[in-house]
Amino acid sequence: MARAQKVAYQCPSQPIQTRAFSRLSASSRRTALQPATPIRHCQNASSSFASHSQLRPFSETSRNAYKTVQEARSRQRSGPFSWKAAVLFVVTGAAMIVYFQEEKARLERKRIADETKGVGKPKVGGPFNLIDQDGKPFSSEDMKGKYALVYFGFTHCPDICPEELDKMAGMIDIVKKNTGNTLLPVFVTADPARDTPAVVKEYLKEFHPDFIGLTGSYDDIKRMCKVYRVYFSTPPEVKSGQDYLVDHSIYFYLMDPDGDFVEVYGRTHTAEEAAKIMTDHIKDWEKPINQGLLSEARTKAVIPEGDPHDPIVS
Amino acid sequence: MALLGFGSENKTTAKKSSDGAYIAPDRTERAQCWEARDSYYSCLDRHDILDSLKEGEKAKNCCPEESKQFERNCASSWVKYFKQRRVADWKKEQTRLKLEKENAVNIADVKDGSVRIVNS
Repeated sequence: MARAQKVAYQCPSQPIQTRAFSRLSASSRRTALQPATPIRHCQNASSSFASHSQLRPFSETSRNAYKTVQEARSRQRSGPFSWKAAVLFVVTGAAMIVYFQEEKARLERKRIADETKGVGKPKVGGPFNLIDQDGKPFSSEDMKGKYALVYFGFTHCPDICPEELDKMAGMIDIVKKNTGNTLLPVFVTADPARDTPAVVKEYLKEFHPDFIGLTGSYDDIKRMCKVYRVYFSTPPEVKSGQDYLVDHSIYFYLMDPDGDFVEVYGRTHTAEEAAKIMTDHIKDWEKPINQGLLSEARTKAVIPEGDPHDPIVS
Repeated sequence: MALLGFGSENKTTAKKSSDGAYIAPDRTERAQCWEARDSYYSCLDRHDILDSLKEGEKAKNCCPEESKQFERNCASSWVKYFKQRRVADWKKEQTRLKLEKENAVNIADVKDGSVRIVNS
């Protein structure tokens, strides 16, 4: 009988133990220093052995492995398709679906990340030489080693830039929580005439302490906007204190640790959505990522918190 | 410290940074400007004015206080920008409604699968 063989097969190394056990009294069996599980597993086998030991010394199982007729019937009806088999089937299936979906998403991200690498591909980003909010030089080389999230804007921006920068601060926090210190947030002004390092510094400290704020000469910023394919509209000659707005592209550019462009996030992405995509890209990166605090020097040198309305005059 | 360079009227004063350039409005000042803008907008709504640049006189007469506050709390480039944006946003909304009437579907919904395009 198929079922009887199955039961016997379940406890292949059991006979010797159980035989010794069956000779012991019930109480001593309980106190014996033997693992509890084999006993439970082979209850049927051992009890049947006790009754049939004389007749069938080599068999540990009886044909009546079931306690009740109902149990036997239900086993008979369901055949080899037990609930265990069903659960195993479903779990394996689900695991494979999850695995393949994840793998598909990973390959899709790899495709996006690799799209702009190599020859003959559209090139976004490239070498630049600008200055940060402390007036120190900051080049494209300084941006390498970590992922960088680059945003172009200007400090006198009425509504979109501050909203987007708040969103960017949210992304920074989520990515940082997920992957550590792997992301360098960079703000590049599209309005070099008004946005001096000190103005950028004042502006950015309200958003996130990790920000690198870049500015430079009119020509340097114009070139920077060109390599990032950003529309640049600052008038070349502005008088001090002149009031004007600047049109600029409002995308977040994700750059990988080699300085290559990955993809952009725009107004339609929430902070959570963009942070999720970035986190996945960062986790895909196989080479080491610099986890150091690039902004450490600056966060230490932040202007002491005083009255925010107090003008700082040198 | 100098008078705010932008605008001609007596506005709040702009601060200079350590290198002499004017600091942009900070978070508080932005919030004040947006608040003034919103009450100006709602006054325009009450008087059924859409384009306050075209209907400048009417807007000034109907919402004198709101108009004053708006211009006091925001740089003049911002005032002009927000007035234009009100019109642009309205046009955008009209286009969206028109498309919706024509049974257009949002491309984002199609992409994430919540809407399916059925060829008829």
